[in-house]
Amino acid sequence: MIKVINGGIEILVEDWPGRLGYMGLGMAAAGAMDNLALQLGNMIVGNEAGEAGLEIAGGYCQFEIVEDGIIAITGSDMSPTINDEEVSMWIAMAVQTGDILKFSHFGETGFRSYICISGGIDVPEYLGSKSTCLFGSYGGFEGRKLAKDDIISAAKKACSGIAGKKLNPKYIPEYTNLWELRAIPGPNSVPDYVTEKGMDYLFSTPMKISHNANRAAYRLGEVPDFFWAREDGGKGGSHPSNIVDHGYNMRGAINVTGNTPSILIADGPTLGGFVCVANVINADLWKIGQGIPARDKVVFKLVTVEEAIEARKERSAMFEANDLLI
Amino acid sequence: MEYILKAHMPGLVARVVVAVGDKVEEGQELAVINCMKTEMICQTAKAGTVKEILVAEWDEMDIDSPMIILEV
Repeated sequence: MIKVINGGIEILVEDWPGRLGYMGLGMAAAGAMDNLALQLGNMIVGNEAGEAGLEIAGGYCQFEIVEDGIIAITGSDMSPTINDEEVSMWIAMAVQTGDILKFSHFGETGFRSYICISGGIDVPEYLGSKSTCLFGSYGGFEGRKLAKDDIISAAKKACSGIAGKKLNPKYIPEYTNLWELRAIPGPNSVPDYVTEKGMDYLFSTPMKISHNANRAAYRLGEVPDFFWAREDGGKGGSHPSNIVDHGYNMRGAINVTGNTPSILIADGPTLGGFVCVANVINADLWKIGQGIPARDKVVFKLVTVEEAIEARKERSAMFEANDLLI
Repeated sequence: MEYILKAHMPGLVARVVVAVGDKVEEGQELAVINCMKTEMICQTAKAGTVKEILVAEWDEMDIDSPMIILEV
């Protein structure tokens, strides 16, 4: 249905919630980096919310429509055009064979756009998911990012009445350059591993996202030495960030290696020998994927488990809202 | 006339692969940026001669940061 003319920085087939149930075998869940934009896009085009779409990181890509259909573009605004004319986002659009769909690059806010196609992306499920695990080279489209001349098929679907449906503007997520991520304390936290002062620092200091941020981990600016409650890692190693290897609390773990925190996400490691001091709550995972490497900052906000559950319920309720689509 | 190669992604300059005075072709790789733990090639959109190199290894780029000036 859609042919890649220029693959840009990184285009991947991703669904939500990804490939669950295999962490114990060392397989990360993968899945959309901004699950909110993907799910809303799918709902706009009449798909199940978790259906696979195309995740575009950075931009600079171009497609040719090779079969008529309905698409929606959500996520970061990369100035999309069809046949060189600007098009709206968060709306179901009819596209015709021969149309050229172009994306510029990410703008002031947000780093990932999504193309959702009515009917969904027709790639085989692997272990229950269509998501690409980039670092495992499996799932999605041949286990890799898309490249020139790849053709992505869409499953057949009756499209009548879908074109023109759009997301109620009040539900369009707010993008920023300073992302507040609500988090609960992790398994290696205060007082055994981290000082009170260290946790205060973690939950009050904006941290810049490193240029080394990708689908495995969003690396952040360093924490100060007073962060640590221990002199060393004991049997885990010489640095206080070391622990004896254990399973990581994926997705959203705030893992600290040396003095460098990283948020472990889609394709991240499932276990290792470094502390996980906190965990970004499920309802805020989408924000991580929109953080611009080498530019944006994150700031963590301490919440309770109860508040995390409530936030997740609120998100579910939003998807059920009668005025979600207009 | 001058053409300025600008960074297409934020990140760190991994290396510059041309020197002042080099003649380059359209589409040629002039430099490399590290972003998302991936090396991203910076290609010139125009042919010309390298007039000035504005960046060095490890310099931090934002999108559209000027990198290399060509005489075209």
